[in-house]
Amino acid sequence: MTKSGADGSVKRILIAEDEPNIVELLSFILERAGCATRAVTDGEAAIAEIRREAPDVLLLDLMLPKHDGYAVLKAVRGSSDNAGLPVVMLTAKGQERDRKVAESLGVNAFITKPFSNQDVVDQVLALAGAGAAAR
Amino acid sequence: MTVAAPIGMKVRTRRKARGLTQKSLAQKVGISASYLNLIESDRRAVGGSLLQRIAEQLGLELADLSGDQERRLVERLGELAADPSILQHHIDPGTANALVSRHPDWAAAMLSLSRSVRDADQQITALTDRLDQDPALMEAVHQVLNNAAAVRSTMEILSSVEDLPAEQRARFVEIVMSQSGELSGTAERLVALFSAGNTRNRSLSPAEEVDDFLIQNQSYFPPLEDAARDLRREIRSFGQTIEGALTAFLAQRFDISVFNRSPVEADLSRFRNHCHYDEANRVLIFLDNAPPSTRQFQLARLACQLTAPDLIDTVARDDLLTSDEARTRARGALASWLAAAALFPYETFLEDAVRHRYDVELLRQRFSASVEQICQRLVSLRKPGAEGIPFGFLRADPSGHISKRFPIAGLPVPRSGNGCPLWPLYGAFQTPDRVIRQLAEFPNGSRYLFIGRTVRHEPALFHEAPFLHAVMLACDVVHADQTVYADGLDFAARHMATPVGPNCRLCSRGDCLHRGEDSILYSR
Repeated sequence: MTKSGADGSVKRILIAEDEPNIVELLSFILERAGCATRAVTDGEAAIAEIRREAPDVLLLDLMLPKHDGYAVLKAVRGSSDNAGLPVVMLTAKGQERDRKVAESLGVNAFITKPFSNQDVVDQVLALAGAGAAAR
Repeated sequence: MTVAAPIGMKVRTRRKARGLTQKSLAQKVGISASYLNLIESDRRAVGGSLLQRIAEQLGLELADLSGDQERRLVERLGELAADPSILQHHIDPGTANALVSRHPDWAAAMLSLSRSVRDADQQITALTDRLDQDPALMEAVHQVLNNAAAVRSTMEILSSVEDLPAEQRARFVEIVMSQSGELSGTAERLVALFSAGNTRNRSLSPAEEVDDFLIQNQSYFPPLEDAARDLRREIRSFGQTIEGALTAFLAQRFDISVFNRSPVEADLSRFRNHCHYDEANRVLIFLDNAPPSTRQFQLARLACQLTAPDLIDTVARDDLLTSDEARTRARGALASWLAAAALFPYETFLEDAVRHRYDVELLRQRFSASVEQICQRLVSLRKPGAEGIPFGFLRADPSGHISKRFPIAGLPVPRSGNGCPLWPLYGAFQTPDRVIRQLAEFPNGSRYLFIGRTVRHEPALFHEAPFLHAVMLACDVVHADQTVYADGLDFAARHMATPVGPNCRLCSRGDCLHRGEDSILYSR
């Protein structure tokens, strides 16, 4: 996996995930794909970090402490500066109703665990390119 | 009116087993062969002395030809026909009679099968609900998927990235090992959680199994009546008043003390029926607001549980009780039954019931009992040769849920859920404390005298709301004139009868203004 962003720039990915092993693995695969990653471990920190410096893509776990993924998504979509931020929801809860809720809140992609590394990279890079084009 | 029970096949089978022709049996019992043929084809109801003669000629007890078992099969098949999963077959519940008549084994097999299907459905629903709502299960499942995600992602990296530095490779191997270990632990925890939650998911709840058990025994248990007599004799020597004698009996025989406690000071969650038995300290505690009838009954109940545990256990060993919970409930019900038998001796109670024409209020005063205790004792007057009126008994709460049921032969009471909204069981809530009498007529023409009233449970504390139950006695209209409740009612006048049903779903009265849901009978 040695791709970089389609336009050649380094895409900045914010990983919001409280499982340290999964953060480590996601960081590894995305950095090998040419991304720059940073991570937060709860929803409150995710919202603050986005405000501080908006990423190109948010990779967001649903089951986060403090604010769950839905709350973070809602906050992002409700913000004036980052409403269009591409969001990939990554979660162990893959039931149909969870998808529908996430879609109603404006999620861009939905990946269930256990995931394929390639799927994650493809989704993130696709959104990063589309996000850059949209901004 | 006697509603035909499909006993024809039983009569025919038994006749043939005894080598009798229709002609010879008909002659012996004093009817024509063609009439006997109609009986054996369930096209004629039979009762009274003719049924007695047929039973004698066939070497059967009258109870064997009562048709109770067959009626219950027919009722259950009627409920099965209403099952949404088979509605598309448009089964006419009216044909259940013929099925039970001609093929009772097939009928029983169908009910067993439907019960198994319902068990399986309930198991699936329960497991799904648990996955959705049990926080411990959800957490465990979430953890399993996280562990699996970490293992999968790491293995993909290890297998696809060739230039991985040794240190990094070692790190990822460590992740695989640790996550695999966690995965095993979480999986074991899931198995334990599922096993712990896998209690009864049978289509009959333990409470319903106990109902069936009591109905099967017609709420009469000869060994318990004998034990009650012996216990009564022993307790009498301990004091003048029943409550005093029971208290002294418990103290001297079992070293149990009886205390009162204020509701303000008590942990009310431990109290049931205004009392709590602290087994460890051998103390029976009553709340101050426990009525005398409750005190007397609960003292007797504890005395029965302690003096006859083996006997109660033996009686509760019945195939109808399929779980530990059902057997525990049955033992509780039998302890209550034994207490009632000890407090209200059979012969004395029957004599007074007949003399007072089954006036529940008078009997309640005579025996210092509650309305419900008297009603349940009336139901148990089934001693062969010394029966009282065969009563059915129902109890409901304000939500309409029937929490106790003792049906009688022919009375169509649904196995679960609510009954017909026109029953005085429900009307009683509109006029609390007043007795409501009703001549009820079912769609099949059977008529019953229903007697309903509320029973009030006073709150322990001023801010609590009083709680009402409603109870209803029922007897076939043929017995009604033996009761005080028939006085003034003209049973001959058809317009006096209130048209009722078992419940809306199983009722064919299409013009009923009180219908709460569609019937499966005429929506086809």
